[in-house]
Amino acid sequence: MGLRDDIERYREVGEDRRQDLAEFIQYGDLGQSLPDEIHIPIKIVDLPAFEYDQRDQGGVGQGQDGAPDVGEPVGQPQPGDGDEEGEPGEEGGEHEYYEMDPEEFAQELDDELGLDLEPKGKRVVEEKEGEYTDITRTGPASTLDFDRLFKSGLKRKLAMDFDEEYVRAMLKVDEMDPESVFRWAREENIPVSRAWIEDAYAGLTNGERSEYESVEAMESVIDRTPTADRIRKEGIEDIPFRREDERYRYPETIEEKERNVVVVNIRDVSGSMREKKRELVERTFTPLDWYLTGKYDNAEFVYIAHDADAWEVSREEFFGIRSGGGTRISSAYELAAQLLEEYPWSDWNRYVFAAGDSENSSNDTSERVIPMMEQIDANLHAYVETQPSGNAINATHAEEVDRHFGESESVAVAYVTSPGDIVNAIYTILSTESNE
Amino acid sequence: MSKPSTDRADKQRIAEELEPVVREAHALAKKLGLDPYPVNYWVVDYDEMNALVAYNGFQKRYPHWRWGMTYDQQRKQRQFLGGKAYELVNNDSPAHAFLQESNAMADQKAVITHVAAHSDFFANNQWYGLFADEPNAARMLASHADTIESYMDDPEIDREAVEKWIDNVLCLEDCIDQHQPFSTVDDWLDETPSEADINEKLEELELSEEVLGQVFDEEWLDQQRETEGVASFPVEPENDLISFLRTHGMGYDEGAEKAVEFEDWQREIMELLRREAYYFAPQKMTKVLNEGWAAYWESIMMGEEGFAAESEFIHYADHQAKVLGSPGFNPYKLGKELWEYVENVTNRREVVEHVLRTEGVTWRNFHDTVDLDDVLESLDPDPIVDRVASETIDQLDPEDPRVDAAGLERAKAGEIDVDRFPWKVFTYDGIAERHYSLAKPQNRGFLSQLTQNDVERIARYMFDDARYTSIEEALENVDYRAGWNRMYEIRESHNDVTFLDEFLTQEFVEEHGYFTYEYMETTEDYRVTSTDVADVKKKLMLQFSNFGKPTVVVEDGNYNNRNELLLAHQYNGVMLDIEQAHQVLKRVFKLWGHPVNLKTIVKELSENDIEVARRRDSEPTPEETGKLLRYDGENLSITDIPWKEVEHLAATDVDYDTKPDDWLA
Repeated sequence: MGLRDDIERYREVGEDRRQDLAEFIQYGDLGQSLPDEIHIPIKIVDLPAFEYDQRDQGGVGQGQDGAPDVGEPVGQPQPGDGDEEGEPGEEGGEHEYYEMDPEEFAQELDDELGLDLEPKGKRVVEEKEGEYTDITRTGPASTLDFDRLFKSGLKRKLAMDFDEEYVRAMLKVDEMDPESVFRWAREENIPVSRAWIEDAYAGLTNGERSEYESVEAMESVIDRTPTADRIRKEGIEDIPFRREDERYRYPETIEEKERNVVVVNIRDVSGSMREKKRELVERTFTPLDWYLTGKYDNAEFVYIAHDADAWEVSREEFFGIRSGGGTRISSAYELAAQLLEEYPWSDWNRYVFAAGDSENSSNDTSERVIPMMEQIDANLHAYVETQPSGNAINATHAEEVDRHFGESESVAVAYVTSPGDIVNAIYTILSTESNE
Repeated sequence: MSKPSTDRADKQRIAEELEPVVREAHALAKKLGLDPYPVNYWVVDYDEMNALVAYNGFQKRYPHWRWGMTYDQQRKQRQFLGGKAYELVNNDSPAHAFLQESNAMADQKAVITHVAAHSDFFANNQWYGLFADEPNAARMLASHADTIESYMDDPEIDREAVEKWIDNVLCLEDCIDQHQPFSTVDDWLDETPSEADINEKLEELELSEEVLGQVFDEEWLDQQRETEGVASFPVEPENDLISFLRTHGMGYDEGAEKAVEFEDWQREIMELLRREAYYFAPQKMTKVLNEGWAAYWESIMMGEEGFAAESEFIHYADHQAKVLGSPGFNPYKLGKELWEYVENVTNRREVVEHVLRTEGVTWRNFHDTVDLDDVLESLDPDPIVDRVASETIDQLDPEDPRVDAAGLERAKAGEIDVDRFPWKVFTYDGIAERHYSLAKPQNRGFLSQLTQNDVERIARYMFDDARYTSIEEALENVDYRAGWNRMYEIRESHNDVTFLDEFLTQEFVEEHGYFTYEYMETTEDYRVTSTDVADVKKKLMLQFSNFGKPTVVVEDGNYNNRNELLLAHQYNGVMLDIEQAHQVLKRVFKLWGHPVNLKTIVKELSENDIEVARRRDSEPTPEETGKLLRYDGENLSITDIPWKEVEHLAATDVDYDTKPDDWLA
């Protein structure tokens, strides 16, 4: 036990107490998070106690240069008394966050929504060296497979070896000559060459050539020794290493496919997109971005704002922009198609998410947007309609897209009228993608 | 936290370097009149320091996730401050204090001086005596840790259950009777009035039957006996919730869905946690006072007595500024300012009392006959005390009560560097004169702020008013020690509440820019509401009384005659955090075994009220309603109850609302 355990337990308790993910997405403070570090408020950090209602309690402040005038706003309540040991004036304790990285977020969302998106590897980024299990006939000396060379040599030796004394003794049998010994050896599978026999025969004196009367007489005197015994007894003087037995080890090649994703976020920033609608878009898109960041090795984001025209913006600007003007959604898809050229379909997973209040200039949806959606290769196209007050007349973009693509596995349409719909919308979008 | 041995060598070296510093600091502290426990210093690294902070300055605590939480917060906060100096000393004898190895020497010195003052406070403030004269804290906490660890390791006991049980009790750690001396639950039980007491009390009155019959009618007596008997207890509302629950509560068996007797380990844990709550209570009750005290003496030692070498001073001043200069309300800063104010006020009063004893000077003609600038000038400390140096040392008289004769001798022998450490040749009297507050540059205007009212108030309690023939003679008799002497008295007997209540004045509130603020329903923000001392005091009382928490007591342990528990919130005009109260009730249920209830008063406002007030440019007046919060093991509920059931809980004479009357609709 000890503090290490206490810290561990705190993490576990904190995890239990962090705000429910769905609740966080709908109502939580998304702004505290960074793209690669999601901060989820822990609902109740410390143990509850009988406390005063904070608002009803009010408090005491101290002005920097004398007291401010009565009636002046003081901003957020100033920090209360420090905890027993707290450094004065550094009370940040009101907000406690549970930190998650996007991988964990994606995992949690999968668990929560019952999703199971397996990202596809696309571009081959690397041919990595795997285990040294492949073999070639040439290579640097250091990769020479000596075990293998030795074994081959040994096999070769065993295959070539024969009991020389015995063969020589056979030549000493009166009735045998080199020709008959060779035939005998072949029958007995003794790996001896004709030349060796000839040489050996030539080396024998005449007396020796008829030392034994018969094969039987010779065999009663000389024992044939099997190769293995002989090697054991005499050892191997030399192993016949041959060039042709050399093998060099070589690493296996593994193709590493990076799981790349590019996400295009498109948002209608025209005059009709008021604060509530804007917030709904942010609440829908932000978790989607986190989710895909967590799922893929490498995630790139493209942000497109549009009214009647479209332009690329940074993430920081994306959710804040407002402009006047009308709406022409196809302008955004034209720009998206252009920007996506940098992310070839062969190498990249692509997601194109658009959001708006479904208002569009007449015929733009059917004549331009739908054909472009068909044309732009993507894992998934999605349109999120944010209409807090229900449907407006003329706001038919989502409906038209929905009708055209129907149950398509690469186009999703989701409707968000209040924060309560967001989690459903996210589910609709993420569960649409076909996992072939 | 395993450390390579070079680290240990480093710490060893630092410790050796600091040893003389510690010795000197404590010698100086003693000269200043401080009387700390002996302090053992430990050199630790950054991580160890954070760990010790999480454990409230002790090496070992029982296993609990909350220490992990504190550690985590501590680490984050201190990263922000650059992980710098940190004063950590525990309330124990001997005390243990911790120095971070990475700190600069100036920081170490600041910490050491600060710690000396804290330890003096622990040793001498009477509120600490309520727990024990010698707390023996490290041993107590370690033994609690061992006990609880053994329960967690016990295969018969579920570890999680132990942790949950601790959680349940900790929710109530501030629900104790912190103004009473600590005693064990069993002793507490003996002291609690019982049903027999009413008869006893009547007997004590020694009244004849006849008189008794006339004063108390039978019906009332029966009622008293009955409510105090089986039907209703406790007799008096009980503040010590943990004791009450430990004595009368029951556990709850989730499976069987019924109340069951406590396990031994459950009872034991309640007892241990209660003891720890009592041990830490004095520290929570004296934050302003104790931190202010330490900051005051630290600055006297570091700044004014040159404990920080010249080269270290800038570094030290910078640190000081960071700690005390952070914007917003800072209780430690309030403490230091208030101590300094008390010192100034006492010294000023001492002067005025003496001057008023001069023939011909009365409170009426005070401002006409006395030139306060002249007075101030003649009060400047004696130059030979104030600016002693090796060249002037011969002018010091060893017989002078301000002079430390032994120190003087050593200085003359060259053993002491008087130029660097002048305090070594003086006594408490001499050093008090060197630090006479009214003569300090930042306080030179203080004497002349005196109003005729102030003088009259002082004169009112004086009798012997013609002792001196001249103002000069009167001033010669002014005691330079008056301020410090008073401060030492206050540090013995006060806590934050009494300190603020007694010494906060309009003069102080104005000088330091304190104000109150309230939440405005109409504008949905916090606004400044008052700069009046009465209002500031009220808000501070709220923040520092009862650990800054509402008072909740046990009203009935057999509520509705069904073994239910009834708690009551003693409403002082500020309502409870209802959501949290519900969460606490859920846990109290686990300690009672039967349904638990809480009576409280809430303020209610409708959207319409707010809208109407907004249009009138005023604040709405909420309606106070009695509520009963209840948890029966399954459901939480809150229901309206008639006003007469909560009337006795409502404060009649305290109003913590500081909004100006004309803001209200």
